Amino acid sequence: MSTPVARSVPAAIRSVLARDRWALAGTVTVVVIGLVAIFADVLTAIEGHDPYTYDATALDPATGLPAGSFGGISAEHWFGVEPLTGRDLFAIVVHGARTSFLIGLAATVVSIALGLLIGAAAGYLGGWADRVITWTADVFLGFPYLVFMIALGAVVPAEFPRALLLIVVIGFFGWPSTARIVRAQVLTLKDRNFVKAARVLGASPWQIFRTELLPNLWGPVLVMATLSVPGKIGLEAALSFLGVGVLPPTPSWGRSISAAIDWVQVDPVYLLIPGLALFAVTWGFNALGDGLRDALDPKSVTKR
Amino acid sequence: MSSKKLLAVVLVGALGAAACGANDQKPSGDAAAKPDKGGTLRVLSESRTLNFDPAKSQSLAITTLGLVHRRLTGWQNAVGQPAKVVPDLGDTGKTTDGGRTWTFVLQDGLKFSDGTPITSADVKWGVERSFAPAFGGGLGYHKDLLGGADYKGPFEGKELDSIETPDPKTITFKLTRPYGDWPWIASTPAFAPVPKGKGAEPDYQEHAIASGPYQIQTYTKGVEVKLSRNPNWDGSKDQVRAGLPDEVVFQLGQDASVVSQRLAADSGDDQFAFGASFASPAQLAQLQANASAKSRVVTSKSGAVAYVALNTQKAPLNDVKVRQAFQYAVNRSAYQIASAGTAALAGDAATTLITQGIEGREQFDLYPSKPEGDPDKAKALLAEAGFPNGLENLSLVLNKSNNQTEKAEAIQAALARANIKVTLRTLEADAFETETNLSENPTYDLTLSSWQPDFPSANANIQPLFATSEIGKGGYNISRYSNPEVDKLIEEAQSTVDPAEAGKKWAAIDKRILQDSPVVPLIYTRNSFIHGSKVGNFFIADFPAYPNYLQVGISK
Repeated sequence: MSTPVARSVPAAIRSVLARDRWALAGTVTVVVIGLVAIFADVLTAIEGHDPYTYDATALDPATGLPAGSFGGISAEHWFGVEPLTGRDLFAIVVHGARTSFLIGLAATVVSIALGLLIGAAAGYLGGWADRVITWTADVFLGFPYLVFMIALGAVVPAEFPRALLLIVVIGFFGWPSTARIVRAQVLTLKDRNFVKAARVLGASPWQIFRTELLPNLWGPVLVMATLSVPGKIGLEAALSFLGVGVLPPTPSWGRSISAAIDWVQVDPVYLLIPGLALFAVTWGFNALGDGLRDALDPKSVTKR
Repeated sequence: MSSKKLLAVVLVGALGAAACGANDQKPSGDAAAKPDKGGTLRVLSESRTLNFDPAKSQSLAITTLGLVHRRLTGWQNAVGQPAKVVPDLGDTGKTTDGGRTWTFVLQDGLKFSDGTPITSADVKWGVERSFAPAFGGGLGYHKDLLGGADYKGPFEGKELDSIETPDPKTITFKLTRPYGDWPWIASTPAFAPVPKGKGAEPDYQEHAIASGPYQIQTYTKGVEVKLSRNPNWDGSKDQVRAGLPDEVVFQLGQDASVVSQRLAADSGDDQFAFGASFASPAQLAQLQANASAKSRVVTSKSGAVAYVALNTQKAPLNDVKVRQAFQYAVNRSAYQIASAGTAALAGDAATTLITQGIEGREQFDLYPSKPEGDPDKAKALLAEAGFPNGLENLSLVLNKSNNQTEKAEAIQAALARANIKVTLRTLEADAFETETNLSENPTYDLTLSSWQPDFPSANANIQPLFATSEIGKGGYNISRYSNPEVDKLIEEAQSTVDPAEAGKKWAAIDKRILQDSPVVPLIYTRNSFIHGSKVGNFFIADFPAYPNYLQVGISK
């Protein structure tokens, strides 16, 4: 029962990578930083530092700034060191990539799964279920979720794993946009003959969702997912920036950027490096997502 | 004391090598230019409100509140001289029965800003007012001693019987027990006069009647407070206030880093301004790079003792061996760098509870180790106490408004070396206070705090932090340390009138408490402030670690 669209997803990816240089560059960036995150321990072992150990000898004794120029960049410390602590910035950024990827990808999985189920239910079932879900989605889209997350971050007990909390909260607030797109897609799919036929043959809504609808939804969902990862990574960074994200000493780009703001006049490298890392990842996912959308979405292709 | 004596010395950090040679006791550079009478002084403050209600104030005798209100006694506050009680409205008090009854005599011819004479009844009214529940929140050292447990303030028609005013110039306090530091207590904000019968309105802080050199001219909430000269203040009857500028303007709600940059740039009105908050490590690093700004940074010689409080009532920290392990596990050197970038700007490593510059203080170190600490010794002590694998999951609570994350991370990393795993929990100011100062059954194991005594006596270093009566209910005994032996020693020392003798007793208590290790002293925190080039006589004496607002002037 598979449809042409579903089969074309891997092919679409291949073709977009072959055709679209920006998408290729984005993919390479994402893959490289992804590998860095996976092999963070190996990389920091090669460099010889971990992101937790204080080292006063790497600091200028007169000011607490990194010793040497450019934030203390040297063969010893590839990205320099943090002011006031002497912790190695390379180790912090590399382990921060792990935090960002883990939370960004896991939260995306949560929000896409929720959005897929809820959106398909709304589109397929119709009637009051559709109305309730659409209203709820509207409320959630207008909800000041950042404020809510800050409040939640302040009241949840410290024993609760922070990464899990962030994944659940960021993922949960991401479902409405996915649900809307999935709902619109399902509305057109459910009147197609292959879906009608399955219904007449007595297939349950769940069976129809799995075998008939899902294969036709992969394309838009993949685009949605790719384009929403940078937003999620950015949100994690924003929450850490505001002091309600991952807790110290776990490295986080957002927290590093937040701390580095105070130092920008005297040690710009400290802000530049985690800032560039965050920029590279968000840009990479966006470029990849844009390319995929062009390849999979007939409308945007015709615009070209 | 003449103001000429004071103006010479401006401490430029502990960095004796300051380019302009500010330590050579001569007016040098812009920083120590001689201030004249007149001009408008500006104070750039982070806070959004400024409280001029003496009953609600915790202000030191030499800062904001002192510009508007005089008190029964004042502080000698000058570089190189020990902090001493000096006469302000009254003399420094006399006792005839070993510290239980204290009598003060007011100077002749004192007037409020509205022209009415200041009498002992007004001082009494001011103290009584501080007992009213509507005017709480101020320093309350006097309340128990005056037997006011059931007293609800003068607005219900009752007087406080323990204060007598036999004539308009004399005021007598009858305390519940002998108390040698009473003349210091008489320098706390509640001992500022409030005209008898006035000050019932909750917004008294915005139009308080002045006894000091300035009166409140305009009060714009959250924006600006302008003080102008009080025509009825007589400088010849006031030895603690110079009253040099014609006007003092407080700009409220200023961002600290913007203030630092504005003052470093030193243009326009900012030349006549100083910042009321401490310069942060990043700001200090930036100011170091600017020779002009660097010469205008003033760093105190010492200051509040910063410490890790260990919750002595909660396992595993209820074991003294475990607590002693913390004394070796901390890394004071890393803490100094995290506080101010360098040990010289952060302050000396602390090993005692009594702060530097306090009479009777003895320097000792019960747990000698390197500045970086001794994790191995800490591990050994933990093993002895039955924790060979260290401690897991201790919670360190922080007050968000204190900006302590970097410092707490330094503590966290240091303790991790001794296998003590700590989770940081940052709470909003109110939630933090509820947890540490009010809660009956708090869940924290550790917290980071610092304590600057409210008056320069070892009593104010020790009693508020370690007396059993100060646990919960808003008290500051956040290590929840309760030892009947220490309580008894504290009461004995408090009733000693002779300062030298009392000092010895306090030093002994200091040692006794640290044997139980309820807190780990870290550093005596230096504070750094920056001022504009036309601000003169801006100095920080040995105690407290704040500039003396009362002596600052504008130089031409």
